[in-house]
This record gives sequence, C-alpha cells and structure tokens, in this order.
Amino acid sequence: MSNTVKKKGLSREQVLSAIVVLAFYIAVFVAEQIVPSTSMLFTVLKKGATYALVAVSMNLLNGFTGIFSLGQAGFMLIGAYVYAIFTIPIAERASVYQYYNGGIVQVALPIFIAMILAGLVAAFFAFLIGLPVLRLKSDYLAVATLGFAEIIRAVFQWDKLGPVTNGSNMLRLFPTFNDFNIRNANGDVTIYLSTLVPMLIAGFCIALIILLINSTFGRALRAIKDDEIAAEAMGIHLASHKQLAFCISSFFTGIGGAMLAMYQTTVQAKSFTTAMTYEILLIVVIGGIGSVTGSCISSFLFVACSEWWLRFLDQKQMIGSFEVPLLRNGFRLVVFSLIIMIVVLFFRQGIMGTRELPDLFRRKRKKTGKEARA
Amino acid sequence: MWNTIFPYLLSGISVGGQYALIAIGYTMVYGILRLINFAHGDVFMVAGILMVYISASGVPLFISIPLVLILTSLIGYLIEHIAYKPLRQAPRMSVMISAIGVSYTLQNLVLYITGGLNQLYPTIPWISNSITVGSASTKIVTIFTPFLTILLVFALVQLINHTKIGMAMRAVSKDFETSQLMGININRVISVTFVIGSFLAGVGSLLYFTNYTTVIQTSGAMPGLKAFVAAVFGGIGSIPGAVIGAFIIGIAENIIKGLDIILFKAGLIAKPLGLATFSDAFTFALLIIILAVKPTGLFGEKTTDKV
Amino acid sequence: MSNTILRIDHLTMQFGGVVAVDNFSMHIDEGEIVALIGPNGAGKTTAFNAVTGVYVPTSGAIKLMGENITGKRPDQITKLGIARTFQNIRLFSSMTVFENVLTAHHLRRTSNVFTATLRLNAAEEHQMRADTDALLKKVDLYDLKDEIATSLPYGRQRLLEIVRALATKPKLLLLDEPAAGMNPQETDELGAFIRRIRDEFDLTIFIIEHHMNLVMEISDRIYVIEFGKQIAEGTPNEIQNNEAVIAAYLGGDDL
Repeated sequence: MSNTVKKKGLSREQVLSAIVVLAFYIAVFVAEQIVPSTSMLFTVLKKGATYALVAVSMNLLNGFTGIFSLGQAGFMLIGAYVYAIFTIPIAERASVYQYYNGGIVQVALPIFIAMILAGLVAAFFAFLIGLPVLRLKSDYLAVATLGFAEIIRAVFQWDKLGPVTNGSNMLRLFPTFNDFNIRNANGDVTIYLSTLVPMLIAGFCIALIILLINSTFGRALRAIKDDEIAAEAMGIHLASHKQLAFCISSFFTGIGGAMLAMYQTTVQAKSFTTAMTYEILLIVVIGGIGSVTGSCISSFLFVACSEWWLRFLDQKQMIGSFEVPLLRNGFRLVVFSLIIMIVVLFFRQGIMGTRELPDLFRRKRKKTGKEARA
Repeated sequence: MWNTIFPYLLSGISVGGQYALIAIGYTMVYGILRLINFAHGDVFMVAGILMVYISASGVPLFISIPLVLILTSLIGYLIEHIAYKPLRQAPRMSVMISAIGVSYTLQNLVLYITGGLNQLYPTIPWISNSITVGSASTKIVTIFTPFLTILLVFALVQLINHTKIGMAMRAVSKDFETSQLMGININRVISVTFVIGSFLAGVGSLLYFTNYTTVIQTSGAMPGLKAFVAAVFGGIGSIPGAVIGAFIIGIAENIIKGLDIILFKAGLIAKPLGLATFSDAFTFALLIIILAVKPTGLFGEKTTDKV
Repeated sequence: MSNTILRIDHLTMQFGGVVAVDNFSMHIDEGEIVALIGPNGAGKTTAFNAVTGVYVPTSGAIKLMGENITGKRPDQITKLGIARTFQNIRLFSSMTVFENVLTAHHLRRTSNVFTATLRLNAAEEHQMRADTDALLKKVDLYDLKDEIATSLPYGRQRLLEIVRALATKPKLLLLDEPAAGMNPQETDELGAFIRRIRDEFDLTIFIIEHHMNLVMEISDRIYVIEFGKQIAEGTPNEIQNNEAVIAAYLGGDDL
C-alpha cells in the first residue's frame, strides 16, 4: 500500500496485481470448460478458495489485530449449519430430518441470502462470546475461543436441538457448488461454473477484507496489534475495535463455513474439530502472519499438497521391484508436520512475511519500509 | 439419592486426580515460560502409546512402567530443546504456534505408527482389579488415583520448597531476567520443569488409560485441554491451584455425565434431557466464566503491566 | 485571569500496600508549561497514568476544564483533549512515520466501518492524509515519512512520538521524560521545540523530566514530589533555592 497522497487512480504495482488476479480467474474459467470436471484440480481450487477465505479472516485477527483466536472451527460450524438448515429444499426435509419429523424450519432461502445469513449468525455469536473473552490476554484468549468452539460443537449435536440441527445426524441435500453450473433443458451442463463461482465469492470477500485493512479502521487495528497502550492513548477504543475485528472475522469465517458445507455436500458437527482450526492456523503461519496474499497462496498450496500432490506418500510405491520404505497410510501427514515445524522454527516469516502481491512488483529502488522489515 | 450420586462422585475424584497430574505440567511451564504448552496433552497420549508398544514386546511390567516414565520425560525434554528453546527471544505468539505444531506432529506420528486404530491398553494387575465401595463397583485404580496424586504433589512441593533446583524454579517463575542475571542456569531450570511435567503426565497416563482401556492419537487432546482449564481455574502458576481445579473439574464433569439419571431418580425430570452431551462443554463454559470473573483464577497472583 | 486547564485534587494512587501517589493536588493554567520533578520512583509517571486514565485513582478527582475525568478510559480522555508520550517510546513498530501520525487522526473520523471499507469516506481520508503531510512538513519529518518509525534514530523517535500526540489535536500535552537518552544538542533543540509547539498549537504542556537544565529553562512552574507527596511548588528560581528540594535530590542530612 502506498503512503503518498494520490489524487486518483492506481499505482503501477496495483494495476499489475489486478492483471495477475484477473488472468488467474480467466484461466480457471477456461480450464473448467476444457478439463474434465472430475479432475483433482477443481477439488483443490474449490477447497482452496474456501480455506483461503477462512485463513484470511483468521489473519485479520492474528496478523492485523493481534488477537490470537482459535475459534475458527466453531464459527465455520455455525456458518455451515445455518447455510444447510436454511437451504435444504422443503420437499427433502422429511428425509433429512427423518428422526425429527422433518424438522421445524420449513423455509428454503436462495443460496446467497443463506450465505449472508450464515455470516451474520456467526458474527452474532462472535459478538456474544467477544464480550467476556476479548478482555483477556493473548494466550488465555486462545484457550477461551478454543473452548467456545468445543461448546458449539457439543450444543449443535444436542438431541433436544434436533428439530433444528438434526442432532448428531448429517445434514444433506442442500445446494452445492455443482448447482452453480448452467444446464440446458435436458439437464446437461452447458457452462461449468462450479469452481469459478466459489472462487469469485471468496475473492469478493477477501477483497472486502483488504479494503478494510487499508482503511482508517485497518490502521487502528494494526495500531492495537503494535501497542495497545499507545493505541488507547491515540483515542482508539480498544474494546469496540477488537469486538469489531472479531465480528467481521467471524462473519467471513461463517461464510467460509457455508462454502465448506457446499464443498463437502454434507454437514456434521463432529467434523469441525480443533484440528481444523490448527490446520487453518498453520496455513496462516506458512503464508506469513500479516500477509493476505500469503494466506491465499498457502491455502491453495496446503490443499493441493494434502489432497493431490502428496497423496502418493500414503500408498505403497514400487520402483521396479523395490518397495519404497515408510510409504503407507499417514506418512503424508508426518511429512506435512515436519514441513510445518521447519517453517515455524526456521522460516518464521513464512512465504510472504508481511508483503502483499503489489510489493512483489515493486522495483528495488531505495529501501522502503516493508523491505527493510522483511 | 446418595447411592445414585456416589459412583459418579467416585469416578470424578479419580479422573480429577489424573487431570491434576497433567495440569501440573501446564501450570509449571506457564509459570516459568508464560507458554501454554499445547503439546502437553499429546505427551500424555504418547506415554499411553509407548506403554502399549513396550508391553507388546513382552517386557515385564516392573521394567516397562519405569521405561515408559523415563522415555516420556525424555520426550518432554526433547520437545523443549527442539521446538521451544530456539524461540526464546521470539514473540510469545510464535512459541505458542510452535507448541501447536508439535501437538499436530505428535498426533500425526502416532496416527502413522498405529494406522489410526484404537490401541488396547495393557492390563496392569492389581490396579485393574474390580472392587466394590458402597454402592459403586469400580476398578482399584479409581480409589488408588487420588492417593497417588496427593503423594506425588506432596513430593513435588517438597522438591520445590527444599532443594536448590526448586529454589531456582521459584526464582525463575518470579522474575525470568533477574534470575538469569543472578547466575541461575535458566535452560537447566526449564529442562527440569519439562522433565517433571512430562513425568507426571506419564504417571497420569498409566492411571487414565488403565481406566479407559484404549489409546488413539487424539486421546490426549481432550484430557489435555481439561487439565489446562483446571490449571487456569486454580490460578495458573500455582500447583495447589491446579490440583484443586482438576478435582473440581473431574467431579463436575462426571456429575453432569450422570445428571440425567440422578435427576430422573430424584423425580425432578420425567425423561432424559441428554445433558451428558455437555460434560465436555461444561469445562469450557467454566473456563470462560472464570476468565471473565476472575482472570487470575482461584490462587493466581495479579500482575500489572508497567506503562 | 487565565483559565485552569487541568486540576488534580487530593489524588491518591495505591497498589496493594504501596502508596505511589499520596494526596497530591495541583493545577495547570492555559498556556503554561508546568514540570513535575522528583527522584526516581517518586510517583511521577503514576500521576501521569492517573491523569490519562491508564490507572483509576484510588481516591481524588481530576478535572479537565472543569469537567470531571476521573476514572474515564484513556481513549475517552484523549478525545476530550489530553495527549501524551511515554517514558519508554511506544511507537507503532510495524508502521511508517506517516502511518503513525495518520493513525492519530482516527479518533476524529465521521465514517463507520462500512463507509470506510467501501471508500465512501474518500474525502475524509484524503483530508486526514493531507493534514498528516502538513504536520510532518511543519516539524521537518516529511523527508522521513516512508521510513519505518522504529528504524529512526532515537531522538527522532522521541520527536515523532510528540508529533503523533499533536495529531490528536490536544489542548493539554503530557510529556513523560522527552529528553531521556538525548545528547546535549538534541536536548537544547527539544527545549526550543516544546516552546514552539506550545505557541503554534495553542497548547498547555505538562512535563516530567530529569534533565534539570531543560526543566529550569522551559518551565513556568514546577511541582516537586518525593515518595508520592508534594514537597515543593514554585517558579524555577524558587525551586532551585528550596531546601527541601535540595535535600530530596542530594540525600538530605549532609546539608
């Protein structure tokens, strides 16, 4: 971001960044029409987009406001459930809620309305939980938010809430990413959009977060991260600004949860574990705490490795008649863990440090602030 | 009424003792490094897995038990040495992330080694035997745990109050920098703290898994978090606080598990409410309440930041 | 008669058993430069912290232009017109010089988070940036505006902290040992700078300082405290000849 008072228009770096992003989207659109839709590429892009949104939301708290929250899985769960509950077609409810007489919610909202609702409900829960929790110091806050996610997971599985949440049973048959494909009268797909649309949704949300970070409110949040006491002395009300960041982050995490539901095609509370939060935290760390670009790149990398490129580590491999040792179920995760520990211990800046996409296009003139720090 | 509650109370006290042994590790490490050692629960789990594998190799108990405790202590030492020591000057958030990374690594390693299957915990004679106390039929380990816990805590308090290393530990937890200037070998104190914490977690795992009979890579997560909550509840940094917190949480959690039956037998409810779902959630609700009302816990010391 | 800007009545600050400030009263009139001096640990910074809301006084009252601000939050007090610097510099370490000062404009925003995010506040944002540029030019920091604040030389960081405080447009400025760590030349410049900003920004200044030459040179009045209690008050001349003060500073009995 540039500090000079610009009248209007964008800097050269910003234009180049915009071109890169646009080219990426066009490539995705073209690939979707050409490559068979069963390709792993699309799995990676869909899940990667979802994780990117959640990771950037987490970065808004951890990297830009200095709030170490570990409640992501809980807010994703809320988003996923709200989305699913309000979009299952009424005709299907009897079969989904078979133990609860079709449930008590009998509306089916349009996809985008339901997604926004998912975000709003997550933000509302964040508001409630934020009141007591945000006063705490970094590490207590981490555990309190982690605990909150556990509580949410238990509550959503409670049998008495079954008419709404379907208890510990699965929610399914709600609209998924495939419903974004455009079909002709015969039901054949004419234009594939099931990857592009989720990527656009995530991209739109992330763009909003970037705008927020670069606004006067974003500066206030960074001030809080750098020095709470000085920020307060500059007239920044800590509680309301932290609460604001927490709610906004949770809003987008909730939308991310809705996207995860669409990606998975089913939702079950028990899958939103602490391990999910840890994964997202590690994505943020690998990308660089304090870099939106880093979170995005590392989300796609992480998903690509775990779902696609490193899958071979989980199977026995033969080179001629030689069986490669160690390779069997679970080895992929061990390799993953080691990579993560190496990043945490030796490359604490992650991929991007605190740099963003436009910084990569900046000519090496004099040492400016960001480079001096990196 | 009493006969209905008693079995839950008994297993609550027992689980509480096991949590206490884990909680001491959290509270001591936090006292000295101001670090929540997120990997501590996983060290506890690894101790369980070690016991499974060592027993399977046919080693008799009088060797396998000490061996497990020694190896667990060693793992605690190594974790500190590899994952925390290089980050001594780094921001606290980095160390906490490293701890989460270690937790993730340990779980994945165990997943790889065991294939993600439940491992049957070996039967330890005597403490696995059944016994009937009043209205409750239980294993001897249930009765045995609180006594062993109290004994170990007593020994630990003696160590901290009456030995040179104990004095060093107290000094370091009071003021890290000054103790360094006074010539205390900080790294040694930290290593000893991790060794003691891991040793106690190892003892806790022997008792806990004898009761629950199976171990899997995620077995350490929940007891670990609960023990941490116990440490915060008691006032982090305070050993008696952690122990009392652990007993309170263990008892409350088990009472909630049986609350449906207790309330039903007392005639207060007509049909079960499924309240057992909340036995884990309760612990965290307690955490959030205590942090909101008295962030320093029951026995914690108040600290103010210098401006 | 001049107006009283700040009035402290019977302020007591107690931490557990320790009384850091004991029944301390003072006042500052509009346009004055008033110094608070005393030996280390006398309770000077504690008094500052009570005035700026970092600590809530155990007892006593603090009034800003007649309005009771006792127990208000630091951000509220800043909005009412008291700005401060810190004994140990507290700049925003990840930000440039420009951003540090720009952040101080946040408290006068009329935008909310939605209008700011969607850039509906462009005019206001533009104004904030222009004001920041103007202020930096005025104090000769404009050339350094894109440097990371904490990479500046020490003296410049102290200066920047004062400028950042000025950007909140205070009526009363509290400086906590602004000359600490400065060389004699920088200290001289600081003295001139403090007088200059007092005149240019219509400020009243309340300063804690150990540098006696600086204090004697710029202060209109001086309060001296020891062990949290006031032991003297007066003009620099009066203070220099006050026996209680000399005793406090030199250790007493020998005199």
